[in-house]
Amino acid sequence: MENLIVSLLNGVIYGLLLFMVSAGLTLIFGMMGVLNFAHASFYMLGAYFAYALQGSLGFWGALVASPILVGLVGVVVEKYFLRRVHHHGHAHELLLTFGLSFIIAELVKLFFGNFPVDYRIPASMDFALFRLGASNYPAYRILMGTVAVLMFVLVYLLLTRTRVGIVVRSAIYKPRMAEALGHNVPLVFMGVFGVGAALAGLAGAVAGAFYTTNPNMALELGVMVFVVVVVGGLGSMGGAMLASLLIGVITSLSVGVDYSLADALAWIGAGDWAQQVGGLLTLKLSSIAATIPFALMLLVLMVRPSGLMGDKN
Amino acid sequence: MKSNTWIALALGVGLLVALPTLTTPSLLNASIQMLIAALFACAFNVLCGQGGMLSFGHAAYFGVGTFATVHAMNAFNGEGLLPTPLMPLAGAVVGLLVGIFAGWFATKRTGTYFAMITLALAELLHALAPHLKGVFGGEAGISTMRMPAWGFSFGSSTEVYYLTLAWVLLSLGLLYLYTLTPVGRLTLGLRENTHRLRFLGYDVHRLNVTVFAISAMFAGVAGGLQALNTESANYVLLEGHVSAAVVLNSYIGGVSVFLGPALGASLMTFFGYAVSDLTRSWLLYQGILFVLVMMFMPSGLTGFFGWIRASRKAHGFTAIAPLLVAGLLAGVLLSAGTVFTVEMLQRFFSQDYRSMAALQPGAGWAPIALFGRDWLPTAVVTWAVPLGLCGVGGALVFAARRMWQALVDRAEEMQVPSNAASTAQGGAL
Amino acid sequence: MSTMQPILTLSGVHKAFGETQIIRGVDLELRAGERHALIGPNGAGKSTVFHLISGHYMPNSGRIHFDGHDIQGASPQHINRLGLARSFQITNIFPKLSVYENLRLAVMRRHGVQHTLWRFINSYPRVREETEHLLEQVRLAARRDAIAGELSYSEQRSMEIAMALASDPKVILLDEPMAGMSHEETDYAVELIKNVTQGRSLLIVEHDMDVVFSLCDRISVLVYGQVIATGTPDEIRNNQKVKEAYLGEEVAA
Repeated sequence: MENLIVSLLNGVIYGLLLFMVSAGLTLIFGMMGVLNFAHASFYMLGAYFAYALQGSLGFWGALVASPILVGLVGVVVEKYFLRRVHHHGHAHELLLTFGLSFIIAELVKLFFGNFPVDYRIPASMDFALFRLGASNYPAYRILMGTVAVLMFVLVYLLLTRTRVGIVVRSAIYKPRMAEALGHNVPLVFMGVFGVGAALAGLAGAVAGAFYTTNPNMALELGVMVFVVVVVGGLGSMGGAMLASLLIGVITSLSVGVDYSLADALAWIGAGDWAQQVGGLLTLKLSSIAATIPFALMLLVLMVRPSGLMGDKN
Repeated sequence: MKSNTWIALALGVGLLVALPTLTTPSLLNASIQMLIAALFACAFNVLCGQGGMLSFGHAAYFGVGTFATVHAMNAFNGEGLLPTPLMPLAGAVVGLLVGIFAGWFATKRTGTYFAMITLALAELLHALAPHLKGVFGGEAGISTMRMPAWGFSFGSSTEVYYLTLAWVLLSLGLLYLYTLTPVGRLTLGLRENTHRLRFLGYDVHRLNVTVFAISAMFAGVAGGLQALNTESANYVLLEGHVSAAVVLNSYIGGVSVFLGPALGASLMTFFGYAVSDLTRSWLLYQGILFVLVMMFMPSGLTGFFGWIRASRKAHGFTAIAPLLVAGLLAGVLLSAGTVFTVEMLQRFFSQDYRSMAALQPGAGWAPIALFGRDWLPTAVVTWAVPLGLCGVGGALVFAARRMWQALVDRAEEMQVPSNAASTAQGGAL
Repeated sequence: MSTMQPILTLSGVHKAFGETQIIRGVDLELRAGERHALIGPNGAGKSTVFHLISGHYMPNSGRIHFDGHDIQGASPQHINRLGLARSFQITNIFPKLSVYENLRLAVMRRHGVQHTLWRFINSYPRVREETEHLLEQVRLAARRDAIAGELSYSEQRSMEIAMALASDPKVILLDEPMAGMSHEETDYAVELIKNVTQGRSLLIVEHDMDVVFSLCDRISVLVYGQVIATGTPDEIRNNQKVKEAYLGEEVAA
């Protein structure tokens, strides 16, 4: 039973992490209509910057400085790259961000090497917060979850309760009207892009210490984020949250399941046959836990193509 | 096609046929890789440049083609049903089937969603592959051997080259003929206006799947040729960077011209091959080139050549010659500056250099050997060189732009239509 | 001349977008062989009615009956195959393809070649003939190799008409086909429409009242998502409700 709760908790926290990254992506897509392929690269940069800065600023200092740096990178990307190709259309912007993500990954390999770096959680955080039955639950995981929840609450309050938030929301919804009313919409775009990037960077800085920090993390997480966005419905924050949590929990729970399709078929007496056939049927769910989100995505595509909370058109 | 085009084609094919007598064995191997990459890129372009559907996961169809062919080679052992030269058919069939399955899902959405789905499908396959050892062979992959057939032993590179060339020419020919069929024309319609096609009575989803499947089929052929060439298959072929490479190659070459992607892929494969011993940062250069193309030359190299041709017609050769020279020089200088910087940085941040520095604390930064000279990381000269190169290059770019603007202004005053130049950037298909 | 049999009927059709009711109960009847205009002030919902008929939108309630089939909520391709074709108010063409190619794509479908991979498109003489015939009819033969996106606005409107005609439909919906045309072009287009709609039924949205009165057998007036009057041009000209709706515009002429 405790295992179940531990798995659930892990899953929720991983889901919240996914949400931190996909929230920025959803916001940017809703605003500019462009899918920023390099968004997961911001996540990776967050981890690497934090790693590079922790020597001089300490772990917590780096945790604060890194997202700011990543936000600046985001601003530069928007102003000097995306804006230039805006008139060529969305496919073009997508390709450009694809190229940028490629370059960022290669630059990371250039500066930090083509292997994981030793970015780890500080000794001060390396303790168990509470016990769940026989297992100790690491405090750092709770920290990750807390940061994600805090971030969500802050962004929500910012968007709905402050003047800046109102301007941002109007720029997202009707950019030309907002501009006609005197708001500096290009500045808003730049700001939202930067904040979205900073959020992804924060996620990276926090998570990179716990999971590995390597040049491949952008692609690994990036694909998951895209799955979240397809499953949740692009443009829907609520959908992104729902999908992130769903995927996080399902992945986490599957890791603990050592059964395969063959075992399930054994219930109806086809167990031996399935074992003989082998291949996909004898694959344990735990081995392919990472692929479950893709299966979920395919399912959603079949049954509800616009996503769980996307608008039906 | 015009007679000029026929002549150019004949010359090109002739050159390709004569190649083994003209080059070294290692270059011949590179040529085989170039041919395979060219076919893969053209297959990709059916979906992307012609059909308007950007796929970020095309490695999946290439990879399954390779695996299918390797299994076929092992199963049929060169005799019976499928002699060695026909092995890529296995890649074609499996590529087609997987393409129909994947395409059915992916084309349920359009645009950005479609791209993400293709990426996720490829990643799904890549994640599953290590667990399906029977099919994908685990870490070491699966190996095989080319068996003799039709009087050839297929032991030498030359024979493999000609086999590959034959298949690539055949496939490119078929792909070209495809563009002349009703489905081929409808593919362009899909790119231009899917919405209108619905109102004209077409079943758009079925059409999308057809185009996807054909693209996957020829990607499978390319994969099969890879299997024949390397006599092996490994699930690293399903990785993201294979999908990324075909996207980069195709756009660098130019997706609106039929052979554009082939050109881009051949060039990039050649450069990758030629400089892979000289630098570890080749992928970075490729990425930079791609981003530059996307920002300043969106129709790729072939579009650029088209623009030069149209400008020559509009303004005359003498007018644009200094422009081209300035541009070329600028390109060389900027590349030199960038390469110098990247190579310096790469060595400076490399493991070896850092360990060396750590071993001798207090000795300062050791000089780095580059291009036959030793450069001190702390010396001003070391950074002045690339800065200077880029500075002059940048100035030349400015000058070239000014010259072009002057040309355009003058042409407008004389009311010479300069539309010819800008429309040359459009499609030729 | 037209018969009295309706070929296209809308009964009680409603369409809302979110909270906003655009179409509030439209009853419309298009008789076989007639030329029927749909007029009304801007924002009345005329294009929306076309979108509902052609399958672009699904009505919230009501029935649309075409040639013996219920087509409300059917897909655009299904409706087109049943014999209903439309043009668009906002030009909806294949911009980077040539004019010839644009029309050929429209012609091809009726010849059942959309899945043909083993023959060249040029080997279908009937497709070529029909495409060239269409080109001549809309006077674009001289521009056949021009890139569609670079045509003048009125040339593109002519192409829109041609693309609607290409599938040899029983019912044609033309949405402001003459927008942007000069006087001479408009006169030509009116004659063209008269010719090509022989034996077909036409529903046309138009603002130019001269065109409407010279071309059409009957007129329906759409105001705020409802048809307030249907009748012959004379009946409409003298209809009080219509005059009020237009607040003194050209209808009284």
